[in-house]
Amino acid sequence: MWVTVAGLPARLTLSVLTGAGRFSILGSGVATRKDLPEVLRRGFSDSRPQPLPCPDIRESSSCVSKCRLDYKRYVISRRLAETLAQILQGKRKTPQLVLECNPGPGILTQALLETGARVIALESDKTFIPHLESLGKNLDGQLDVVHCDFFKLDPRNGSLVKPPIMISQMLFQNLGIRAVPWSAGIPLKVIGIFPIKSEKKALWKLIYDLYSCTSVYRYGRVELNMFISEKEYQKLKARPKNPNLYQALSVLWQVACDIKLLHMEPWSSFDLHTQNGQLEKTKRRELSELIQQNLCFIRMTPRRNLFTENLTPINYDVFFHMLKQCFGKRNAKLVDHLHSLSPVDAKDILTLIRKHENVKITNICPEDFKLLFETIECSKDYNCKWLCDDIMEDRIM
Amino acid sequence: MSALRWGCGAAGLGRALVPAGRRRLLAEEGAGALDGIWGRRRSSSASPCERDRRKDWGHAELLEVLEARVRQLQGESVSEVTVKRVDMAQIPEGSGSSFQLSRKAEAGAALELRGRWAEKLDKEKRIMQKRKQRLEVKLQAHSQKPPREQQPRPLRVEPRLKNGQLAGCLQRWARGSPASPWEEQLAQVLQEAPQKLSCEEVQAPADRGAEAQLSGQRQKLLAFFECCLLTDHLPLAHHVLVTQHGNFRRRWLLTLAMYNTVMLGWARKGSFKELVYVFFMVKDAGLAPDLLSYAAALQCMGRLDQDASTIKRCLEQMARDRLQVQKLFLAVPMSEEERAALLTAVRKVKPAFSPPPRPTPRVNTSPLLKDIYAQGGPVSYPKLHLPLKTLEDLFQQQLRVELATTVQVKSVEKAPPLTSEVLHARETLRSLRDQWEAALCHELQEIKAELARRAREGRPTLYPHLCLLSEQETAQMLLQVLQVLPPQGESLIQLAYQLGTRAFNRHVVQRKQREHQVPALQRRYSEYLRLLACDTQVDPPRLPRQHWESLGGPGGEPPPEQPWPLPVLVRLGKQLAEVLVRAVRMPRSPGAPAGAEQLIPVLYHVYSFRSFRQIGILKPHPAFSQLLATAAEPTLTFEAAEVPMLCPPLPWTSPHSGAFLLSPAKLMRAVEGTIQHQERLEHCPPAALHGALDALTQLGNCAWRVNGRVLDLVLELFHARGCTRLGVPPPASEAPRPPSRRPAPGTPPARLAELRREAARCLKAARELRSLRADALYRLSLAQHLRHHGAFWLPHNMDFRGRTYPCPPHLSHLGSDLARALLEFAQGRPLGPRGLDWLKLHVVNLTGLKKRESLQARLAFADQVLDEVLDSADRPMTGRKWWMAADEPWQTLACCMEIARAVRSPDPTTFVSHFPVHQDGSCNGLQHYAALGRDSAGAASVNLTPSDLPQDVYSGVAAQVEVFRRQDAEQGVRVAQVLEGFVSRKVVKQTVMTVVYGVTRYGGRLQIEKRLHELQDFPQEFVWEASHYLVRQVFNSLQEMFSATRAIQHWLTESARLISHMGSAVEWVTPLGIPVIQPYHRTAKVCQGWGRWLGPGLCPLPASAPSPPRPPLVSRRPNTLKQKNGFPPNFIHSLDSSHMMLTALHCYRKGLTFVSVHDCFWTHAADVPVMNQVCREQFVRLHSQPILRDLSRFLVKRFCSAPRSQNFSKNIQMRKLFQTLLALPETGTFDLEQVKQSTYFFS
Repeated sequence: MWVTVAGLPARLTLSVLTGAGRFSILGSGVATRKDLPEVLRRGFSDSRPQPLPCPDIRESSSCVSKCRLDYKRYVISRRLAETLAQILQGKRKTPQLVLECNPGPGILTQALLETGARVIALESDKTFIPHLESLGKNLDGQLDVVHCDFFKLDPRNGSLVKPPIMISQMLFQNLGIRAVPWSAGIPLKVIGIFPIKSEKKALWKLIYDLYSCTSVYRYGRVELNMFISEKEYQKLKARPKNPNLYQALSVLWQVACDIKLLHMEPWSSFDLHTQNGQLEKTKRRELSELIQQNLCFIRMTPRRNLFTENLTPINYDVFFHMLKQCFGKRNAKLVDHLHSLSPVDAKDILTLIRKHENVKITNICPEDFKLLFETIECSKDYNCKWLCDDIMEDRIM
Repeated sequence: MSALRWGCGAAGLGRALVPAGRRRLLAEEGAGALDGIWGRRRSSSASPCERDRRKDWGHAELLEVLEARVRQLQGESVSEVTVKRVDMAQIPEGSGSSFQLSRKAEAGAALELRGRWAEKLDKEKRIMQKRKQRLEVKLQAHSQKPPREQQPRPLRVEPRLKNGQLAGCLQRWARGSPASPWEEQLAQVLQEAPQKLSCEEVQAPADRGAEAQLSGQRQKLLAFFECCLLTDHLPLAHHVLVTQHGNFRRRWLLTLAMYNTVMLGWARKGSFKELVYVFFMVKDAGLAPDLLSYAAALQCMGRLDQDASTIKRCLEQMARDRLQVQKLFLAVPMSEEERAALLTAVRKVKPAFSPPPRPTPRVNTSPLLKDIYAQGGPVSYPKLHLPLKTLEDLFQQQLRVELATTVQVKSVEKAPPLTSEVLHARETLRSLRDQWEAALCHELQEIKAELARRAREGRPTLYPHLCLLSEQETAQMLLQVLQVLPPQGESLIQLAYQLGTRAFNRHVVQRKQREHQVPALQRRYSEYLRLLACDTQVDPPRLPRQHWESLGGPGGEPPPEQPWPLPVLVRLGKQLAEVLVRAVRMPRSPGAPAGAEQLIPVLYHVYSFRSFRQIGILKPHPAFSQLLATAAEPTLTFEAAEVPMLCPPLPWTSPHSGAFLLSPAKLMRAVEGTIQHQERLEHCPPAALHGALDALTQLGNCAWRVNGRVLDLVLELFHARGCTRLGVPPPASEAPRPPSRRPAPGTPPARLAELRREAARCLKAARELRSLRADALYRLSLAQHLRHHGAFWLPHNMDFRGRTYPCPPHLSHLGSDLARALLEFAQGRPLGPRGLDWLKLHVVNLTGLKKRESLQARLAFADQVLDEVLDSADRPMTGRKWWMAADEPWQTLACCMEIARAVRSPDPTTFVSHFPVHQDGSCNGLQHYAALGRDSAGAASVNLTPSDLPQDVYSGVAAQVEVFRRQDAEQGVRVAQVLEGFVSRKVVKQTVMTVVYGVTRYGGRLQIEKRLHELQDFPQEFVWEASHYLVRQVFNSLQEMFSATRAIQHWLTESARLISHMGSAVEWVTPLGIPVIQPYHRTAKVCQGWGRWLGPGLCPLPASAPSPPRPPLVSRRPNTLKQKNGFPPNFIHSLDSSHMMLTALHCYRKGLTFVSVHDCFWTHAADVPVMNQVCREQFVRLHSQPILRDLSRFLVKRFCSAPRSQNFSKNIQMRKLFQTLLALPETGTFDLEQVKQSTYFFS
């Protein structure tokens, strides 16, 4: 079982062997934070152990030092990998197409390959690529390895496109993946772990892509199978019953996707691994807070009936705008928000969606938000339905 | 009195707030309210209800203490308590009323308490009962009074003093018979030593944020008092002052300036009693009266004709406070009449006293300006071409414009056919506006009543500010703003700022009118015109400012109105915006008859998200925008200060007086929210600014006129389909149209996403087009409006570095090619022997064709293309259109026309030309650097040394980069090999140009990347790498060629970094003496939300609605990155502005017409050689000054002279800065005198 680990960097091996962890966190470039004083910074980089004794990846040390502080988690427990592979496979017999984000040491990749799936490994860290490529040597095209960061696909701010940042259209074209109509089945499954420090950002990016049918969602209802921190999962699944967790992102994801919890994995079994063993204090505290939680493995399948006549990739941004504004002041009444959202008579709308006049934002469930939006969108005898209609540029990130 | 109010609130609310079933909850609320009091932020924005509840916090606290005590005692003897426990939960704590107290007492009594704790409790109970009784007596007394609403309480006059001695003194005198004169009291009060504040000072918050907020609150108070004085609400101001003073927790907000303001008010009215009350308060607050206080007291006594003994004692006390009587007349700004009153008072005691004469105006002593202010010597200041009579008429016209505050201008947009639809829309708008005006007036009245009520409660509000203008005027101003609101809305903060500024401007104009300043201005101005008019003489010749100052009366000018602080402006603006939102409504569909249908608001508060930041926007209903578009009304309305002046502007005499006749103006434009510049300018000795004041005056005195032929051609294009290439934006109908909104149902989502992207693109394009079009419309309409005026003037002011700009924003010579081509000098000058040649050279320069040729070659080329020039002039739109291919097509065309006229005139040397000819500095930033560093190689490449051909620095850099590239290519560097043949002037030009102004490697790389993308045959996959490589090489080449430049830049950057780290913004003084401070600070959210800005109780949205974003206010902490990156370019800009001003002043002395667009100098064709000579001489003179050494000395003095502090790291920082500042960069051996012979220095 440990054989696969042999080709791994020494540090990684060490952690796998000593702590019986099922994940590993790899901190790279701890010391390159800008605001550290010069001396301190030098001290850090001097003391940083050379992490990668692998002969074929010598150049990567420079690559690592360039990255900002960002920890990556990798599945390194064989047992967990097999569980995940089984969950993904389900009862189906047919081999499926799986896109794995940041496989790292490739243990999950191996498990997936063993179920017969066709795997595309998108690895953002060059270090792992040679090893990953070696996994698929005898498998006749069952594995593709690409130097690419799934969470940074299709940058919106027009910044430079340079690996690992890629354009999904080019990537998928090279891989020979074809678009599937929205109403048809699932073109591919994505499996991975949300980036530890920017889960929210990743969720926002994906939800924008989903509603606008761009990036990976251009190719149909892509199913995400992701590890997410328990806290974020609770927020994602929050309903009006938990007004403290309920937020715009919960509404958007619940309206768009069927979210299902597949597996929970405690963090306690997790060995906190950093490259140089010492972290700034604040960082350590942040991490130790994270470790208190579980990681949830969830499945997010876009709904077939997400888009209706009144909610389309054309006007989705108004829906987003509405939610952002509503949850900007979440304890307010819906009526008050409606006044600055739409010139349509607020009372009429509330009667139409059968809500009381005093209903608060946090008391409205996601489905009703969609209903509310559609009701305003199809309201008759108003030639202007939204006040934010032409503020189309507002974007996240 | 206040104790009574306190009791009333407690009792009434206590009863109302004790429902049977919600006790626990109430207790929690009570606790919440308690929190609220301690945080200052809530105390002013709380709702009235909350406020009342808070009044009785003392009781709540009492109960809590008691409860805690019980618990403690319980702990001591648990066994007893278990049997007879006091059920504290039954007592509603949150609202400690007498009701509760009695219940509490009963509960206590009902229990037979034994033991130690019972005794203690009993004792406490007795105390409580006593308190209760006292409270009840007060309540009874109050209940006999009628309720507050029916009869407003009288305004407070008598202060409540903290100091027992003073208070006793006050009481005695207040009760005393009228025979005991107030003035004696004053004398006695004056003798009281100010009580040192002890506890208050401790209370004062130390941290910066709170400090900023504090100064915000103080500004608010001071603005309130000042405005009360203006609007004759002095009793109200006094009331608020007394109330604030009486509230010990808020007293520390009051400053001496506030007391002085109220005192001055009473002095003007001659109310001695109230004045003495204020004096009592000053002493009670522990402040020492200053000159202003004494001036007010003496003025009052002068008015009342008091007997001499009081005045004498007052003066004696003044002497004891080490204040001089003479200073009263010099340092305190006063009107003539106040001065007289003051003098009367002083003369009673010292009959022989005469006010000190005004100091003779100081003359600037800067070595650079010595020549300018030298008496004697050859001086031929230019005169205008207009006679005195005409100028006086023009003055009347301008006066009328400014008194009306707005100008109606006919729009040049093609009028739509007057269909019934258009007429109907216009009719609807007209009737709506009538309704709105009435509604706005009504709303304003209501708001004012509300604010007045709140002011009577003792808090500063915007009430006096709203009283400054009449309701009709305010309503009209609001409607004008509504008219120009763009369909996509405007950010609330900006709108508020705009409204506040407009209100201020109107108020200033009205005040000048009210105080009869206009006739005085008229007299003085017509005297002043004698200096400028062509048919009058003034002897000896003087500069306009000197002449204007000499015409002032003996008492000097009335002090210019100080601009309101930004928070006040914005608060007022928001209040007005809110009135607009609430009052302005329209029928749902424009066709419906008025009144038949429910009205909907015209304006909405909407929100936009930039990233996750929320921005509040005020947006008109689309139907309203549609209505405006349909009506297409043919007039545009401008503020008087947005239109060029019709007569020569007033000379600048101080940071706040100059330019427009009545409208206020600022010498230095500031980034919104920064006040540091103003402070620096105020503190400058007046003579130090003379250079800048005179240069700006002189730039503003240039008379302009519209080039009618060019205007006609532009209008022709503008009415047709526009022309993007020529800078004439096409009409909105030419904008790309988005596909219809609703595609067929069943379209796949991916396709919809594409449609959406397309729509967004169209929308963006259309929006850009609309703003471009509006810009052009304003400019052309104003040009059309002014084309038949023989002359108009563009008053100038400057930015924080001293760069100059015309004040009117829409039509000026600073702008695009089109804007520049529309204007020419109103005054003509014969071409003279060489004028025609300069016109020809100018046309070649404008085409951009022969940049690297000598003047002779350019002239030869001009003769060669003369045919084309004439063709362009004769048939601009139908001929061969040679002019259209030029770099600056419209100016080329204008120049072609001028040449054609000159060539065809019988004698070109006598042809009177109005055309301005430009001379441009070649890479002016680098010129200054090269001169600063005496860098020979660098100087040669930017034409500081004489040479036969103009040097081109961009080609030089490109060549150097090529040298490096070839070396690398030989070494086998892949990128260098790929780049073979692609390193050109064009690729590096922008980067080189901007490096001087501090572009970073990052920015430089983006610029180069853009250039490489434009190259067709460059392999695009290498763009990233190549741009990286090239930017490195460009920097290296510059380093090689301009070694001194880089050293200086580095020195500046490093100094700025260290200064900023020490917590200060970088400051310096330009060689001409203008104080510069970099306005880059971190934004701080000084205000705590909407309610606070708008004034409490007036939340525009229901309290629960989303709060709009807070306006960022500028804190005092510098933004290090911006300070550091900004210093080198800003310093160079301050040098180039100094050079420009010096050139301007010397040209003026030589009688030239001179204007500038930063480093591009304009004059008549005949005068170009003279201007060039002056320009070179002044450059040499400027750089002969030890500029860097002076800078270093100044910075050391400013930042390193603080005494050693306790803070060790501070000392180290200071030491490091000191060392850096002393380590001036080395300079080279370049001989500056060579510049004087360099033909291509400016060309």
